[in-house]
Amino acid sequence: MKKVENIAYAGLTRFIENGEGEKELLLWVENDLSKTSFSYSYFETMSNRIAGILQEIGVNPGDTVSLFIPRSPMLISCFFAVLKNAAISSILFSTLGEAGLLDRLSNSNARVIITKKSLLRKIISIKHQLPTLERILVVDIDEDQNDHVLSLKRLLSKSSSAFDYPHSLDAETPAFLQYTSGSTGKPKGALHVHGAIADIEKSFKEIMQLQADDLYWCTADPAWITGLVYGIIAPFTTAARQLQYNGTYNADNWLKLLEQEKVTVWYTAPTALRMLMQEEESKFSQRDFQHLKRMYSVGEPLNPEIYHWGKRIFGVEVYDNWWQSETGSMMIANRPPMKVKPGSMGKPREGIESFICDENMRLLPPGKQGLLCLHKGWGSMFRGYFHNDTAYAEKFHGDIYVAGDLAFTDSDGYFWYVSRADDVINTAGHLVGPFEVESALLEIPEIADVAVIGADDPIMHKRIVAFVKLRSGAAWSKELELKCRVHVSNKVSTSAIPAEFHMIEQVPKNQSGKILRRVLKAVYEGKDPGDTSTME
Amino acid sequence: MDIQERLTKVFRTVFDNESITLTPDLTADDVDEWDSLSHINLMLAIELEFGIEFSQSEIQNFSNVGELLECVKTKLEPS
Repeated sequence: MKKVENIAYAGLTRFIENGEGEKELLLWVENDLSKTSFSYSYFETMSNRIAGILQEIGVNPGDTVSLFIPRSPMLISCFFAVLKNAAISSILFSTLGEAGLLDRLSNSNARVIITKKSLLRKIISIKHQLPTLERILVVDIDEDQNDHVLSLKRLLSKSSSAFDYPHSLDAETPAFLQYTSGSTGKPKGALHVHGAIADIEKSFKEIMQLQADDLYWCTADPAWITGLVYGIIAPFTTAARQLQYNGTYNADNWLKLLEQEKVTVWYTAPTALRMLMQEEESKFSQRDFQHLKRMYSVGEPLNPEIYHWGKRIFGVEVYDNWWQSETGSMMIANRPPMKVKPGSMGKPREGIESFICDENMRLLPPGKQGLLCLHKGWGSMFRGYFHNDTAYAEKFHGDIYVAGDLAFTDSDGYFWYVSRADDVINTAGHLVGPFEVESALLEIPEIADVAVIGADDPIMHKRIVAFVKLRSGAAWSKELELKCRVHVSNKVSTSAIPAEFHMIEQVPKNQSGKILRRVLKAVYEGKDPGDTSTME
Repeated sequence: MDIQERLTKVFRTVFDNESITLTPDLTADDVDEWDSLSHINLMLAIELEFGIEFSQSEIQNFSNVGELLECVKTKLEPS
C-alpha cells in the first residue's frame, strides 16, 4: 500500500527537523485583542506531551479521540497529538447539545474525550449511554475527579516532551472524522485519511496562492471542515503565516484586526459578510485595508449583492468557492487570475472533474439545472461515513459522487449553485437535518407533531422554520416558544434553533407517513403546493 | 431575589449550565453556549422574566453582562 507522511509529521515534526522550529507560525488573538505568537516548536512539544498521555492511557491506532473544546492552541495541539498516535480525531462544536453530542460520540465509538470543565457536565449526563468511553481528559481542572475524569493539566506536568511515532503510514490510514447532517437519520461522520494531505496542500496553493509575506486569516471554527482543513492542516503543512481570533463575530474587533495586523488574505463566510454589511459604513471608511489583497468566501452561496458590497468596501476581489465535509478540500473555486462572475462558485480546480447530471445520471448541457456531481477518486475524498456503509453507498452512482446540491453550468464552464437537492438546511454554513430538530421538539409535552423546513433568510442564507401541531388543550405562548428554542439549543445545537414557529392543524404527510416538506414550503412562500394526491 | 440573582437564574436556564456566575465583564466569549443564535433565546427569556422589552439595537449591542444588567435595571425603574 502507498505510504504517505503522517499529517502531524507534515504539519509539525518535518519543520523541526528542517531547523524551522522557531518560525512564527500563528498569531493568536484573544477576544480582548491580546496577542500571542506560536511557533512550530510550541505545537510540536505540546502535541508530543499530549500524544504520550494518550498512549499511556491506552489509545491505540484506529481509536477515536473526540475533541470537545473550543478553538484554542490547545485544540490544535490535541489534534496533532491524536494523529501522532495514528488515532482518529473528531473535533466537535462546543455549542452542541446533549443529543447532538451523544449521536456523534456513540457513532464514533470514542474511547477518549478531551474537554473543558464547563462542558464536562454535558458528557457526564450522557456517559452511561457511551459504553466505549473510557477516559475524559479535562484541560482546566487541577486534580483528577476519579479514575475516568482526569486532569490533563496534571498529566501534562509530568509528561515527556519527546514522542516517537512513525512519520509515514499507509495512505488510507484514517485521520479525522467530520460530522455532517443528512435529510433523515442521525449525523454522519465523514471519514478522511492521511493520504488526503497532498490534495489539501495542492488545493490551498492553487486557490489561496499565499506568498511568504502574506498574513492569512481563516475565520472558521476548527469544528467546521473549513476551520480544520484550511485553518489548521493546510497552513501548518505549507508554513503559511496565519492569524486566528478566539472570539465570536465582533465587527469592531474583526475590522481592527484586518487593519492593524495587516491581514493580506482573508477566508470567511457569506453570513459573516452579510452581518458586516449591516454595520454603519463609517466603521469601514475610518479604517485602512490597504494590506488586504483578496478575500475568499465559503459555506453558502455568495450572492452578487454581498460580492459587490465586499469589493466596494474592502477594495479587493472576493472569491467564492464550493466544497463539503465529504470532499475534504475545495472542489470548485474562483481564484486569481480568473475573472469572477458574481454569484458563481467558479470552476473546478485542476484535476477535479465536476459536471451536472439529471436523476438518471445523464450529463446535462450548460444552462440546465441538475445534480452537482464529481468524478470519484480525488485524493481528499471521504472514505466512508463512519459505521454507516449504506449512507456512503447512497452518495455514489458507480464512479460518480452526487453532492446533494442542485446547480448548473454556463457556456464558459462556470458553476452556479441553485439549492440543496434534499431537505438539509444550510443555515449560516451549518448543515442541519430537519429530523434532528423535529426529534428534539417532539420531546416537548405540548407538541403533538412537528415539521421543519428551511426558508430564505437575508443574513443566514436559510433560517429554520418549524410548523407545530399542539396537543389538545395546549396553547402557544411566548413562554412555550422560549421552552422550544432553549430545548433545541441545549439538546441539539444553537445552530438548530428555529427562527420561526407556526401553528398548524395537521402536519402534511404522505400515505407512508413521510412529511411533505414541499407542501409546507409552498404554503410558507404563498405558492401553489402542487400535487397533494399522495397526502394522507 | 434581586435583579442579579434573577438574571443569573435566567442565564443558567437558557444555557443549561448551573455553574454560570454573572460578573459585569462576562461576555459571550466566556460562555461556551452563548452565540448569536442562543443570544436571542437569552433576550427572550429576560424579557419574559422581567416583563420588559428590548429594542433591536439593544439586543445587538450589549457588549457584556454589566451593560445588560444596567439596561434591565433602567427598564424596571418606575417612570
